[in-house]
Amino acid sequence: MHTMVRIRRITKRGQMKIQQMSFMLIAVTFLFILVGIFFLSIRLYSLKKTATNLEEQNAMLLVSKLANSPEFSCGNAFGSSRTSCVDFDKLIVLKDRISDYSGFWGVAKIELRKIYPGEEDILCDEKNYPNCNILKLLDKKVNTQPATSNFVALCRKEKTEAIIYDKCELALLMISSESKK
Amino acid sequence: MKKNTRDLAYISRALTPRNRSGVLDISFGWLFALIAGAVIIFLAIYLSSKLIGTEKETVSAETGKEIGILLNPLETSFESAQTTSISIPTETRIHNTCDETGSFGRQVIQLDQKNFGKWTKTEVDVSFENKYIFSNKEMGGKKFYIFSKPFSFPFKVADLIYMSSSNERYCFMNAPEEIVTELTNLNRSNLITKNCSLSDIKVCFSGNCQINVDYGAGSVKKGGKIVYFAGTGEDSKTLMYAAIFSDADVYECQLKRLMLRVKELSQIYGDKSVIVERAGCENNLREDLAKLSSLADGFGSSTELELIKLQADDVAARKEVGICILW
Repeated sequence: MHTMVRIRRITKRGQMKIQQMSFMLIAVTFLFILVGIFFLSIRLYSLKKTATNLEEQNAMLLVSKLANSPEFSCGNAFGSSRTSCVDFDKLIVLKDRISDYSGFWGVAKIELRKIYPGEEDILCDEKNYPNCNILKLLDKKVNTQPATSNFVALCRKEKTEAIIYDKCELALLMISSESKK
Repeated sequence: MKKNTRDLAYISRALTPRNRSGVLDISFGWLFALIAGAVIIFLAIYLSSKLIGTEKETVSAETGKEIGILLNPLETSFESAQTTSISIPTETRIHNTCDETGSFGRQVIQLDQKNFGKWTKTEVDVSFENKYIFSNKEMGGKKFYIFSKPFSFPFKVADLIYMSSSNERYCFMNAPEEIVTELTNLNRSNLITKNCSLSDIKVCFSGNCQINVDYGAGSVKKGGKIVYFAGTGEDSKTLMYAAIFSDADVYECQLKRLMLRVKELSQIYGDKSVIVERAGCENNLREDLAKLSSLADGFGSSTELELIKLQADDVAARKEVGICILW
């Protein structure tokens, strides 16, 4: 009788210990999971920040050179070769084919805005061209960083009753990179 | 008697050591600490090794992306060539891969870096659609020399980037005067035209060496493979350098990518010709540009380059006849 009581007491104590151990293991596991999630979120944030910085750096370096790329540049179409000169006639055509170029420059937005002469904002399309002043060339529907810009000469062929001449206006070429944050 | 037997059993139980099996008496606290400690140490070692691996991959991917971004200023406007160099603090192997799928294909860069004397292989690809890097499939070193030249066919198509490691020195033997002048003007220590040493990679314009250039026929023989180059007007050197500095596979793939861009630009100029015609600029180039676009679309390998060049030359000649110049 005495032995039976003792065995029961030992079994109960054993069960308590097993319960205590399993609770402790669960608590320790949770603690590690929480620490892991916390660490991963910090790491992920820092990675996203680096990716955004790199995209921004790309946009900054690209904006100064984009006007010289074949799809944008005037070449010799307006007399002699010019630097930072954008061919408006070419861009309005490019706007219709922009789906092929969606990932080409690695940026989220490319926009051109005539700044002189100052007029009310009219978005350019094939119908109202050239009587417009904002050309949204590429616009991915994503979160973007503030735009980086560069002044360019926006040139096109213009006709009066008697002559065909080159008309160049001052414009701002703006590029926005995707924000990964 | 019974009482005596019970007493004896009690004494014998009392005298018997508690640890009957003869092994250590481990309490619950110890057992838990051992199991939990082992699990924690195992997890810590496993996770930190994984983390170091991921960190190395991240650094390689970041460096790859930075290299691509640093190539942006190599876009030319008036210049016939631009030159720069990239220095990386650790020993690096750059893998140049070209992918011709999609609208313009992709330039893929993959970096392996040396850490504690061991190469860390990365699976992360950094890709760019607007870059054309001509180099060997694999380059190793800490410093890389780069120069770029515009490629026109007959309009400007892209800036070609030629990349080589500072560990490799190219010696151009018996090169035509214009090439000697151009290489001298580039002022790159790994591109020489005289006093070749045994370890140099020799580029011969006559005779037989590692890289043989037939300037007249427009072909380059490298590693037993022959690739062809051409250019409109007087500029055929741009693709010649590309063939010299890159492996045959890389050259053929990049050429296909360039032709994809020729195709797209021909269509853009074709549509532009319609717009400028509205402004009174007759040019009659649309059909020729459409033909060039279709030839570029069907481009298979550099053996077909001469055929497309004929059409490109034709377009270039007709461009001068129109009232307004398209490019």
